[in-house]
Amino acid sequence: MITGYAGISPKGDLLLLQRLGERLAGKSFLHVNSTRLGGGVAEILQRMVPILKDLGIEARWEIIEGDQKFFDITKKIHNALQGDQVEITREMWEYHHEVNKKNARKLNLDADAVLIHDPQPVALVEFRREGRWIWRCHIDLSNPAVGVARFIKRYCRRYDAAIFSVAKFVMPMAIDQFIIQPSIDPLSEKNREVTKEEIQETAGRLQIPRDRPLLLQVSRYDRFKDPIGVIKAYRMVKKYNDCILVLAGSPATDDPEGEVVLTAVTEFAADDPDIHVLLLPPNSDRDINVLQRMATVILQKSFKEGFGLTVSEGMWKGKPVIGGAAGGIPVQIVNGVNGFLVHSVEGAAFRMRQLLNNPEMAHEMGERGRDHVRTNFLITRQIRDYLSVWYSLEKGGRGILEP
Amino acid sequence: MGKGIKPFEFKECVIVPKSTGKKARNLRELRSLLGRVTDESISHHTYQYFLSGHVLEYTNAFAHWVGESLGEKGLSEHLSNIDPYSFSEIELLRNELLKAVDSRLEAPPRPRDAAPGDEFFFSESITLTFPVRVRAMNLAEFLMAVRYVDRSSIYYHFYEARTRLEGGADDFSKWISGSLGQKDLGGKIKSIDPFMHTLEGIREHILEAVEEQVRKQMEELS
Repeated sequence: MITGYAGISPKGDLLLLQRLGERLAGKSFLHVNSTRLGGGVAEILQRMVPILKDLGIEARWEIIEGDQKFFDITKKIHNALQGDQVEITREMWEYHHEVNKKNARKLNLDADAVLIHDPQPVALVEFRREGRWIWRCHIDLSNPAVGVARFIKRYCRRYDAAIFSVAKFVMPMAIDQFIIQPSIDPLSEKNREVTKEEIQETAGRLQIPRDRPLLLQVSRYDRFKDPIGVIKAYRMVKKYNDCILVLAGSPATDDPEGEVVLTAVTEFAADDPDIHVLLLPPNSDRDINVLQRMATVILQKSFKEGFGLTVSEGMWKGKPVIGGAAGGIPVQIVNGVNGFLVHSVEGAAFRMRQLLNNPEMAHEMGERGRDHVRTNFLITRQIRDYLSVWYSLEKGGRGILEP
Repeated sequence: MGKGIKPFEFKECVIVPKSTGKKARNLRELRSLLGRVTDESISHHTYQYFLSGHVLEYTNAFAHWVGESLGEKGLSEHLSNIDPYSFSEIELLRNELLKAVDSRLEAPPRPRDAAPGDEFFFSESITLTFPVRVRAMNLAEFLMAVRYVDRSSIYYHFYEARTRLEGGADDFSKWISGSLGQKDLGGKIKSIDPFMHTLEGIREHILEAVEEQVRKQMEELS
């Protein structure tokens, strides 16, 4: 399996993976999160667990179960951790703890290394028996609501280490906190190479013309992704350059605002035949892949963002990406080198015009973007880093891998 | 190339950053933390900065942040001009960085704060070093290897080596001058300015110099 990445991922990453695999072979590595389907964490775990097994590590992936009340509470905790002033009552925390306790009784939590993903299962650490326990936080904790931070810190004290995606997402705590960026899988349906026939088929089915430059934003219909701003920017560009805009997103069942935003976007697009607002069914990975490959310029004009891996997805297809300077986007886009960071509708429009009028510059930026992703944002690098952290914890917090 | 030549064993290093939980919003806070953070943190933001493939005009993370996030172009030039390899101890490098920041703080106008989320985040790192199973016995093999090894291998042998070896040497020039006895070529590689190129730029310069030498050797009659 790991050999499938040869010639795609940097060779050093694969060699280190093999070497760490040799050192950690036969040991057990447990991942726990709250869903097997949907969302970036599940998406990456589906790919990561088989690779870990291929390296000789006994990898397992467990899911915690909870009722609607539990997930309503964890959604509130999630929002409060991201800074929303939501009150999490003592009763809510007690219920959260109770559900974690029930799961701890049911699940086999014994492993040499245990990686707990996000706040839903964070309290499982209270029931740890053996191994190294690491909390993997995928969300931005730089500005949490005070009460909720106190509770999370209390649990975190029981962990050996924590992992965050970006340095600015870290909440000061008394345990080691590593920075490991998330990643995309170059062999997945969303990122693999596609054939000309596949492109023709998708373009025909989705009725996307191919006679003019295509601007694309792939994201949920969420006001923080600024789809209306993207349409405004497109209209500014359209005065100078004939082009097509595609907004593509899937419905998010856990986001009641999604439908309202989609309606607003459709109304704002009005009857412009060159704006294509697509609501793709879940698991439309291949269509998204094809759309990204058809695009001339890719946008991710977010005001607020988690890590924003659609940026890396676009770059992997060799496209210049224009992103809002939010969340993890500035980690992926080196402004003016492999894309542009923008702070306004006008900025997005200006950069789109610049790229449409300078195909050579767009091509070079796209190439640099692909190279940047190859070095920094592929799944092999992320697994390499997880194993490096585990290995270093085994070695008393030091790195060094003997020759 | 006869017997007894020690082959060049290519290695690579991988760095996983570790947050210190400390951040600076402005120059005063940067100054205060610069004086207190660990040597590992100073090292991470200076020596290891080169592994990020410094695409802009800066030569360390402090200069980068001061220039890009605070708009302090003069200070960023000053910080970029500090050669971390010219100090025998991190403490001396730290003092030089502090001196530069102090000289800016002593003069008006008062520096601005960074935008929220754009603060300077002090990190350390864990480093794992390993051989990449590529070795060169002679210059021609070395040429091919340098062309294809990962960028982090160039970093390890050209930048990281300077913290291990005496006299600002790098692994490449040391092997070429020492094991191969080709002092001119070794000197040429040693003289490549580490601050003025990206890792790919360094690779190109090494390839150029080595290729020229290999061509010369191929044309020799005996």
